[in-house]
Amino acid sequence: MNKFEIFKNGITKENPILVQQVGMCATLAITTSLLNGIGMGVAVIAVLTGSNIVISALRKFIPDEVRIPAFVIIIAAFTTIIDLLMHAYTFALYQALGVFIPLIVVNCIILARAEAFAFKNGVFDSAIDGLGMGVGYLVAMVLLSSIREILGNGSILGLRILPEAYEPMMMAVQPPGAFILLGLLIGAVNYLSRKKKA
Amino acid sequence: MKNSFVKLGGVLFLVGAISAGVLAWLNDATSDIIAKNEAMASMKPEILEAVMPGSVLFSDYEDAALIDSIKAENSKFVNLLTAVDSSDKELGKVIRTWSTVPGYGGDMELFVGVSPDGKITGISVVSHSETSGLGTRTLEPAFTSQFVGKDAGAEITAFDAISGVTKSSNSFLSAVNNAIDIYSKFLK
Amino acid sequence: MNLVSLFITAFLVNNIIFSQFLGVCPFLGVSKKIDTAAGMSVAVIFVITLASIITFIVQKAILDPMQLGYLQTIVFILIIAALVQFVEMFLKKSAPGLYQALGIYLPLITTNCAVLGVAINSIKFDYSFIEAMVYSIGTSGSFMLAIVLFAGVRDKVDNADLPESLKGSAISLIAAGLMSVAFLGFSGLKL
Repeated sequence: MNKFEIFKNGITKENPILVQQVGMCATLAITTSLLNGIGMGVAVIAVLTGSNIVISALRKFIPDEVRIPAFVIIIAAFTTIIDLLMHAYTFALYQALGVFIPLIVVNCIILARAEAFAFKNGVFDSAIDGLGMGVGYLVAMVLLSSIREILGNGSILGLRILPEAYEPMMMAVQPPGAFILLGLLIGAVNYLSRKKKA
Repeated sequence: MKNSFVKLGGVLFLVGAISAGVLAWLNDATSDIIAKNEAMASMKPEILEAVMPGSVLFSDYEDAALIDSIKAENSKFVNLLTAVDSSDKELGKVIRTWSTVPGYGGDMELFVGVSPDGKITGISVVSHSETSGLGTRTLEPAFTSQFVGKDAGAEITAFDAISGVTKSSNSFLSAVNNAIDIYSKFLK
Repeated sequence: MNLVSLFITAFLVNNIIFSQFLGVCPFLGVSKKIDTAAGMSVAVIFVITLASIITFIVQKAILDPMQLGYLQTIVFILIIAALVQFVEMFLKKSAPGLYQALGIYLPLITTNCAVLGVAINSIKFDYSFIEAMVYSIGTSGSFMLAIVLFAGVRDKVDNADLPESLKGSAISLIAAGLMSVAFLGFSGLKL
């Protein structure tokens, strides 16, 4: 597999949210505005890429028997780094994302990439894999959070884009909207990929 | 068997120790900024604006010894703070104090802002136990704004008390005058 | 806040799945049948409550006094992982019947964000020990409520005649959305 394919894989064929459907909690919870979606996406990219790099660099050093606890420590360390940095430098975003920043550590996609890819491949490939998967996550977050912000607030990144006559659909930014819109989004992705195959 | 156990434990310990070390360093580097963010978040913007227009944070006054000596002399004094704007520029001092004369429900606690040229910039009530609808009228800008711009170096004697709630008004005034007293003695 | 209203808030108003979005992965993964859903949720209640007790003590007795709050994420996740392993070994030896029933769900719980989420929230909301207990039991109970109810719904949904693209998780999410509308009604509860 060449480098570009490793990267593209995470965005399309194995998109963590839209295809593999893992790490749904944060996806549903914080996509009430595009800014939150981007913030969470970037945080996940950083943790995923960072832990992939370190784990692949240490793969000869970490014995097989203790690899899972070692992965967990490394991922938790990167999560805490992001947590501290966001707490210090992007405080409003930190408050908006709340408990879902430390919960990046239990996002299955990160442990899954460590196990399935980083522990078996070189540093550079692992970095690209982490970046690809992370960008795939970001793309899904951007899609869902844009839809929710437009429907629920009539705005995008806080700027009103729909005419004043549009009555914001509160449901879109409330919990039910999260489930239903993500369901429809996954349905649309299924439809497109089936059409492509046919 | 024993050897491999030691090796496995050792590797895990090393990974953990290095991670903890990196985090300790980063925590140290960011803790001041985080503490400041939290302090800013815990202050209500309307209070900041009422006491010192344009300020985003009341940070602790740097001279802790001075605070201790004010406390020793003035039992109603709570704290001395520095009001700063978003670019960290100092806008003035904020004195937090209790009243020296009780209102209907007990003492009132105020923030009194003082500009570098010695004028009162604004006042906000931190806590009080006055009767809702009567004594609480001393919390309203209609009453508090009469003190804005007054000289913080001289005791205020003449003011417009709210009719019918003189006791609360006098309690409020006594806290303002206590702040003025602290300002004249220690900060002028 | 008194303990009864804390419990009802955690159990109904702030339902862990439908309003806090914690533990959505196992919610979608293990809700195909009512009895597996019930088995999973018993295991989750057990682990969440136990994990909350231990993480609470560790936070108050070790992390806070030593000012190691920044190690919270690492320490908590390791405690939860070790706890799950320990519970698994313990059940295997002393309660084989229970192990047979719950064993397959236990490894899944380590990466269930509900466990870590509840542990972190108990600290963040500044609960006392008793409040933290009530909060974890109420919250994990709400997980059971959500997942068992949903398994019943899903039984019907899976037999429905649907467009091919919506089958599977797409329709599950939409159905969960409709259930969450129902749970939204509890937010009007005056406590």
